Amino acid sequence: MIELSRVSKRFGDTTAVDDISLSIPSGKFCALVGTSGCGKSTMLRMINRLIPHSDGQITLDGEPIESFNPVKLRRRIGYVIQSTGLFPHWSVARNIGLVPRLLKWPTEKVNARVEELMGIFGLPVDEFAHKYPHQLSGGQAQRVGVARALAADPDILLMDEPFGALDPLTREKLQDELLRLQAKLHKTVVFVTHDMDEALKLADHLVVMRDGRIVQQGSPLALLQHPEDAFVESMLGGLERGLKQAALTRVKDHMTSLGSAIPAHSRIPGDFTLRQGLSMMMRDHCDRLTVVDASDVPIGELSLRRLIKEAQTERGVHRAG
Amino acid sequence: MPVRAAARLRAGARTLAPNAVLLTLSIVMLAALWLTSTVSVAPNRIVPGSAFDVVAAFGVAGALLVSLLLLALAALSLKAERVNYQAMLLLVVLILLLMPFGLMVAGHFLIDPALAQARLGIGAGYWTLLFVLLLCLVELRLRLGLKRLATAALLLGVALVWWLCARLWLDELALVQEFHSRQSAFYAALSQHLVLVASAVGVSLVLGMTLALLMRRFTRVEKVGFALLNFFQTVPSLALFGLLLAPLAWLGANVAFLRDLGVSGIGNTPALIALIAYSLLPIARNTYIALGEVRPDTLEAATAMGMRPAQRFWQVRFPLALPVLLEGVRITTVQAVGLAAVAALIGAGGLGTFIFQGLGQAAMDMVLLGALPIVIMALIMDAGLGALAELTRHGGQA
Repeated sequence: MIELSRVSKRFGDTTAVDDISLSIPSGKFCALVGTSGCGKSTMLRMINRLIPHSDGQITLDGEPIESFNPVKLRRRIGYVIQSTGLFPHWSVARNIGLVPRLLKWPTEKVNARVEELMGIFGLPVDEFAHKYPHQLSGGQAQRVGVARALAADPDILLMDEPFGALDPLTREKLQDELLRLQAKLHKTVVFVTHDMDEALKLADHLVVMRDGRIVQQGSPLALLQHPEDAFVESMLGGLERGLKQAALTRVKDHMTSLGSAIPAHSRIPGDFTLRQGLSMMMRDHCDRLTVVDASDVPIGELSLRRLIKEAQTERGVHRAG
Repeated sequence: MPVRAAARLRAGARTLAPNAVLLTLSIVMLAALWLTSTVSVAPNRIVPGSAFDVVAAFGVAGALLVSLLLLALAALSLKAERVNYQAMLLLVVLILLLMPFGLMVAGHFLIDPALAQARLGIGAGYWTLLFVLLLCLVELRLRLGLKRLATAALLLGVALVWWLCARLWLDELALVQEFHSRQSAFYAALSQHLVLVASAVGVSLVLGMTLALLMRRFTRVEKVGFALLNFFQTVPSLALFGLLLAPLAWLGANVAFLRDLGVSGIGNTPALIALIAYSLLPIARNTYIALGEVRPDTLEAATAMGMRPAQRFWQVRFPLALPVLLEGVRITTVQAVGLAAVAALIGAGGLGTFIFQGLGQAAMDMVLLGALPIVIMALIMDAGLGALAELTRHGGQA
C-alpha cells in the first residue's frame, strides 16, 4: 500500500507536483499518465526518495518513507527507467544480480535467482549471461532492466516510461509479458507513461495528471465512460474513445443467448475484446457474430443492435442517476 | 540509369585507391637511403667523422636488399587492402629488426680494427629510416585496427632485439662506446630519471584526482582550479625551475624541518615540484572529463538500486571513468619523461645530464646516450599505458 497525502514538490519557484493525494492498494497496477513535464516522473522518484518531497506525507504500509534508511528503502523497491540504466561495464548476469548482492545474499542464491529471472524473461543463460548491455537489442536490454528491478523480489515496482524507447512491436510484446508477470506476482506497480493506450491496457487504476495536479483518477473503464473534462477526453483519444472502451471489455460479457434465428456465419471466441468483435463485423459486413468457447462450440451471439440498445439504456440510467 | 550508377559504384569499390600516406613514406625512405649519409666513421670521440653512403656502408648487395624491401613496401601500398596492410606490417617489422645488423655490416666494412678509438656514427639517412618506419607502424596500426597491447608488444620485441645486438655485437658503434665508458653513471641517471617521473606522476595522480573530484563537487573550485592549472602550463619549464629557485632556497635555509627533507633551491625538490605542476593539468582535466562522461541515468540507476555513495563511486563511476582517466595518465607520463630531462639543469640528475654535458663537450654521441633512452622510454610508456586504457574498457565498448 502506497499512500500519498497532500504531497507537493517545489524546485525553487516552480511547483512540479502540487498537493497530490493518491492511494495505491497492494498488488494493484497504477498508471500515471500525462503530457511531458506534468510532474508524473517527479512523483515516482519521490516514492523511492531519489527526490525529497517538499510538503505532505508519503507512506508505505502506513510508515512514512522518512522513517526508513533511504538506501535500505531503495533496495526494497524495484526501479525501471526508459534508458534501462544498465551498467555498461557489467555483464547481463552481474547487472541482474546487483540488488541481491547489495543485500549480501550468498553467491549460490544470487546465481540461482539470476538464472531463474533470465528464464522468466526468455533470455537463455548460455547465450546472454556474459553479454554486455551494448550487445543487446532495445527489447532485450529492457527485459534485463525489469529483471534487475525484480531480482530481490521487492513488493513495489516503480517504472518510468520503461517501454518508451522501443519499437511498437517490441513494446507490445513487453507489455504482454508484464501483464502475464503481474497476474502471477501481484506487485504494487506505479507505472509512468505518456502513452494512453499503454496505460489503458496495463493499469487497474489510472491517474491523469496535468501541471502537477491530478485531473481525474479511477479505473480505465470508468474514465473512458465518464471523462471529467475536455483534457481527459482528448488524452483518452477523443473520437476513438468508444473503440478504446470496447478494447477493455470481453465479447462474452456482452453476448446474448443463442436465439431461434439462424446462427451468424462469422465466429468469434468469447475471450476476444469487443473491439475485435466490432472489427470483425466491419470486415465480414454483418451485424451479428456467433460467440464460441475455446473448443469452438457456440455459446452465444453478439449483436450490434443489442449492443447499441444496451449502451442507450446504460446512458439513460446514468442520466437519471 | 540508377542501375548503371550502382554498378559503377561497385566497380569503384573493387579497384582500391593506393594508401597515399604509406606510399609517400616509402618514397621518403628510399630518397633518404640514397641521398643522405647512412653512417659516419670517426677516428676518436671528438673529431667529427666522415660520412659514408648506403653502398659504402652495406655493400652493393646490402643496399639493394634494403632498397628492394622499401620498393616492396611502396608496391604493397598501391592497393589499400587488408592483406597488403598485413604484409606491410611484416615488412616494416622485418626492416626494423634488420637495421642493427646493417650497422654490424657497416662496422665490418668501415672500421679499421687497428684503431682502438675508431667509432661508427649513425647518419641522417639511417635516422630518417628509423623515424619514418615508426610512422609507418602508426599508420598500419590504425588501418589494421590493431590493439594497443599488440603494438606495445611489437615495439618491445624490436627494442629487445636492438638492445641484444648492441650488447653483443655492436662494440664499434659510438653510442655503445659512450655507454661502456659511462655504464654506472648511465644506470644511475636512468633510475634517477625513472624515480623522478614516477614520483611526479604518482603525486599528481593523487592531487589531480582529488582536485577533479572537488571541481566536480563545487563550481567555484572548478573555475579557480582550471585557471591556476592553465597558468602553470603556460610558464616555460626552464622559467618555472628558475622561479622556484629563490623561494625554495630560502625555505631550505630557514625551515629546519624542510631542510631535513632535503629541500633546497636546486636538486630534486624544485624539479619534482615543477614536474608536478605540469602534470596536474592533464590529470585533473582528464579525471574531470572522465567523471563527467559517465551517463547521469546510469548513476541515478545505481542510487535507485540502493547503492551507497561509496559503492556507487567505486563500482560504477570510477570504473566507467577509468579509460579516459588512464589516457590522462598516459599523456602526463610521456610529458614528464621529456620534461625530466630539463630538470638536469638544476641538478636533479637523470638522463638529461648526458644531454647537457654532451652539448657542452660537442660530443653528439653523448647527447644521444641521454636522448635515445628518453625517446624509447616515452614510446614504451605511451604504448603500455595506452594498452592499459584499452583493457579497462569493459565489454569492448568503444
